[in-house]
Amino acid sequence: MKRSLIVLVFALATSISVVGAETTLEKIDKSGTLVIGTRTGSPPFGYVNKNNEWGGFSIDLVEKAILPALSKKLNKPIKLEKKESAPATRIPLLQSNTVDLIAETMTDTQARRDQVDFSLTFFVTGAQFLVKKGTPIKGIESIAGKRVAAQQGSTNARIIRERAPNAKLVEFPDQPAAFQALAQGQVQAYTNDGIQLAGLKVKAPKPDAWAVVGEFFSYEPYGMAMRKNESDFRQVVNVGLMDAIASGLYFEIYDKWFGPKGELPYPLTAESKRFLQMQVVPK
Amino acid sequence: MNYRFDWSVLWSGQSGGWLLQGLLTTLEIAALGWLIAVALGVLSGALRTVPLALLRWLATGYVEFFRNVPLLVWMFFWYFGVPPLLPQAVRDWLFDHGAEFWAAVFALGVYHGARFSEVIRAGIQSIPKTQLEAALSTGLTIAQAYRLIILPIALRLIIPPATNETLNLIKNSSVALTIGVAELTFQTRQIETYTAKAFEALAAGTVIYLMLCLTIATLMARIERRVAIPGMIAQGQSGVA
Repeated sequence: MKRSLIVLVFALATSISVVGAETTLEKIDKSGTLVIGTRTGSPPFGYVNKNNEWGGFSIDLVEKAILPALSKKLNKPIKLEKKESAPATRIPLLQSNTVDLIAETMTDTQARRDQVDFSLTFFVTGAQFLVKKGTPIKGIESIAGKRVAAQQGSTNARIIRERAPNAKLVEFPDQPAAFQALAQGQVQAYTNDGIQLAGLKVKAPKPDAWAVVGEFFSYEPYGMAMRKNESDFRQVVNVGLMDAIASGLYFEIYDKWFGPKGELPYPLTAESKRFLQMQVVPK
Repeated sequence: MNYRFDWSVLWSGQSGGWLLQGLLTTLEIAALGWLIAVALGVLSGALRTVPLALLRWLATGYVEFFRNVPLLVWMFFWYFGVPPLLPQAVRDWLFDHGAEFWAAVFALGVYHGARFSEVIRAGIQSIPKTQLEAALSTGLTIAQAYRLIILPIALRLIIPPATNETLNLIKNSSVALTIGVAELTFQTRQIETYTAKAFEALAAGTVIYLMLCLTIATLMARIERRVAIPGMIAQGQSGVA
């Protein structure tokens, strides 16, 4: 928490000093480095694993799909540098030029599009609830009066507040704190995007003690965020993603993380696959 | 950079109400935490100067243990560590009645109590020993001498450092957002979530903390002048004792 606040203050300080900014592509060309903001505790999109390696699905997409596209565009090898981002810090991190791309679990929304631009959608999920197996909570219709945890700064918290005003909402800065509160009974349910809850369940000491319940009560299309009005850079990112989807590389990476032998088995529905493919425009 | 400031997000929509709610929650946890801190601080600060070794050790133990562990850890301790020790019924009742709020109050109170304690000890030790001896020679017991002579003087002497501690306590109350208390800093982030305007929200929070702390500093300075004992300490104007 303290760290994210420091980042925010630092971002504020640097943002004032940056005048006559170069474009993102010029910046990457000069430094030879793409700096991304990603998560450390959101398996399997961006997290630090048991062996203390920082990786994940979103990071893989950047490394295998976007970096090659950037290298091709700029005609030189580009290195990747990762920095930690969180819901409250990711937009300031971009706007202060601290990072060039947010690649984690960020939902593309209209309000956020006023501040940043998004790549095409690279993953689709929706909000659900993680509960102890056997509790009466079945979805958003049965949480009135219940203690529900959410992540600070997430779209889910906002929807709960609007659609279930009687629920007692407690918001935590990160997943581990929210899960701890659920495990100890401070809260009776934890809401987040379904895929992230499935990730938490798999990583829990006793996965069978937990259940992900409820229909999706929100639509959460994940995109990679970048500074506004940088259409050249955005084009490179999108081409990287489109090529990966068209060539099948995307689905290989998907399988690595979400396939039957992946970190988190979560089969891609035919509908989702079709949606991804339809975002690819002809060459 | 291409950031467009839009300050209207602070008064349009629900932002104003959130900031007010956040300010009230900050004031509540800070005020309750402060009461605990002052009570613990006066008690343990006084005990550290009494001529009874056992009491001195107890008070020293409290101070060193609580001030040398980060506040964040105390927040987690009171929120995650204490409830499992309670019976199930008490626990459920607590969770239904704002456990995070009370955990934050206790964390702030006990942590800052240890820091207040040192301030008060310094105040007591700056009073010449002859004061206590004179008090005892009039027939007062040690407890009476502390209550009627030593503490009233010490509490006047320590107003400037105590103001410092009070302001620290208010600002440290923002750590409570880590256990889900919707205080002022939390609400500024909430505004950021809804409007994606981080700089405006953070600036609003900063200004509110600043005003709050300046108000309290002014108030304490006024109290200091008001209660000063003529001839004992300079009356707060020059700042030099």
